[in-house]
Amino acid sequence: MSAIRLDQLGKRFGAFTALHAMDLSIADGEFMALLGPSGCGKSTTMNMIAGMERPSAGRILFGDRDMAGVAMGRRGVGFVFQNYAIFTHMTVRENLSYGLRMTGRPGSEVASRTAATAELLQLTPLLDRPSAGLSVNILQRVAIGRSAVMEPAIFLLDEPLSNVDAAFRAVMRTELKQLQRQFRQTMIYVTHDQLEAMTMADRIAVMDHGVLQQVGTPLDVYNNPANVFVARFIGAPGMNLLPGVPLDTGAGMAVDLGPLGRSPVLPPAQAAALRGAGGPVIYGFRPEQVALAAGGIALQTEVIERIGARTIVHFSGPVKVGPVKVGPVKVGPVKVDGVKAVFDNDLALSVGEVAHLAPHGGDVRLFDAATGRALGGH
Amino acid sequence: MTMAEKLTLPATTLPPDTDRRRLGFRLTLPAQVLVLLISLFPLLMQLYISLTDWSPLSGLMWPRAWQMWNGLANYADLLSDNRLWAALGRTAFVMAVCVPVEFLLGLALATLFMDEFPGKRVLYSILIMPMMVVPAVAGYMFFMLFQSGGPVNDILSWFTASPVTIAWLSSPTLALTAVMIADIWQWTPLMFLILLAGLMGVPEDQMKAATLLGAGPWQRFRTIVLPRMRTIIVIALAIRSIECFKIFDTLFIMTGGGPGVATETISVYIYKITTQDLIWGYVAAIALAILLVLSVACIWAMKRLAR
Repeated sequence: MSAIRLDQLGKRFGAFTALHAMDLSIADGEFMALLGPSGCGKSTTMNMIAGMERPSAGRILFGDRDMAGVAMGRRGVGFVFQNYAIFTHMTVRENLSYGLRMTGRPGSEVASRTAATAELLQLTPLLDRPSAGLSVNILQRVAIGRSAVMEPAIFLLDEPLSNVDAAFRAVMRTELKQLQRQFRQTMIYVTHDQLEAMTMADRIAVMDHGVLQQVGTPLDVYNNPANVFVARFIGAPGMNLLPGVPLDTGAGMAVDLGPLGRSPVLPPAQAAALRGAGGPVIYGFRPEQVALAAGGIALQTEVIERIGARTIVHFSGPVKVGPVKVGPVKVGPVKVDGVKAVFDNDLALSVGEVAHLAPHGGDVRLFDAATGRALGGH
Repeated sequence: MTMAEKLTLPATTLPPDTDRRRLGFRLTLPAQVLVLLISLFPLLMQLYISLTDWSPLSGLMWPRAWQMWNGLANYADLLSDNRLWAALGRTAFVMAVCVPVEFLLGLALATLFMDEFPGKRVLYSILIMPMMVVPAVAGYMFFMLFQSGGPVNDILSWFTASPVTIAWLSSPTLALTAVMIADIWQWTPLMFLILLAGLMGVPEDQMKAATLLGAGPWQRFRTIVLPRMRTIIVIALAIRSIECFKIFDTLFIMTGGGPGVATETISVYIYKITTQDLIWGYVAAIALAILLVLSVACIWAMKRLAR
């Protein structure tokens, strides 16, 4: 019974609302990432699930069991802290066996389970080392092992990779994903790094300003952002968003982008969505899903950034979008520092030149300019 | 300029290590001489006098005390000085009671103050106040509180609903109790402050982690708080033990060491034989012996506990 359900969960600190009525279901054995910028309420959510903070509203259910009033030591939750919170005055063995010893398990059981966990995490040769001064990846394994030895049904990880340098993060991501496969537990992973969320999670819950913006598989969140916030936040660089109004060209539906001219004619699905829009829209396209073609949106090249595998081109802007209301909160105004596009390295474009950008019609996403919500079902 | 040249520059412009050390020595010389005069000179003078029978009444200036040389006789005397041993015993008793009580009270208060509660700031200030009272004033305060017609007896009367007229300060056993109560009142705040600082230094994450792993409050205290506070506890206990050994001003004003010698601690005893008996050769011997024993005991205890 390690499915988790959040039911209208809310948290207020004085006048500040950290989390607005959040509904979320996490299946047994699922790896769910809570993704959002700092201050979006993801850590608050996690702390409430662990029992470190008391919800101001709503319920948390593990299976069918309401967790209100269940002390944090009795929730059967494994928690890996951002800084790992290793007991540095103990050895690795003492760290791993801590929970078992504190809950009064017999000595033989403590020894065998500690040994088994150490074996699984390849910590056996380090068992009698003092835990102060171990390297970060070992500390992470100790932190995970210390919780895992208790065989919790639910594992919570609070930005475990945020104080690891970038080069090492890739190694740790792989390691974490493998561990999750081994343990087969429900995992909730809090992060502000979309790469971590995209690579490891089964599903991602994107949050901002204490509001759950979208829940979906990594690809779903990337392909079909529910609103402009998710569109901007997911992807590196994020989706290009240009304000405009629907326009019937006679040859088909397009978006009038004001000073930037007019978008290429949209394919049927997008055209239908555009017809349904009441007023101004936001025209969105991924920097990766663009070609240079005549009849595209004319933009001046400002910066050409060569990052190795690809070339990122910044076009003149800036463009302001919003502010828009998403649910009960205002989002934005989203400042778009110009339009960006990602190309292969053999790009024949130089700074100052005018380029004609033609987004792939099927990959264009449209949003309601008033609400910021995605238009039409994709 | 090449990289190698840059790197060798500092070595050639700065004086070699021994020169620098000599310069440092010369610069600190005045201060060192001052420290020597202040600390070493009285110590040597004391050692010298302790080997004589000198007294300010002897008519000799102290440098000429060698004329009254009696070797180690003073040290032999103190071994059989029953009043000295009784005073030492009393001092040890006061230490053995006051320091643990102050420690436990201070720890309990510090633990309470780790949580938020209304009126915390005001209570904090009130709690710190006894420490700021001049010990002599505190002594006079408690002297009045413990009079047979004083407030302590009044309060006890209310509780027992019958008139209480205990003569606190003239009873041999109760006088020491009263003195210890005064000491605990005045010095628990110091323990509280030191231990609060220690408690605040315990990482909150580790406490949370321990809680999540199922450790109860006492287990958390034993496995996380205590090991992390060990150094601070040792320091707090050492400071208070040394101070408590020297207990004097409050006690002297409350009881003057009496009734009889019932509250005569080591400081009071030394004070009395210094000012009344004027046998300074012997006083110097006692003081040196105590200094030696206390230093050894302190070093031993610190080494043991700090491990």
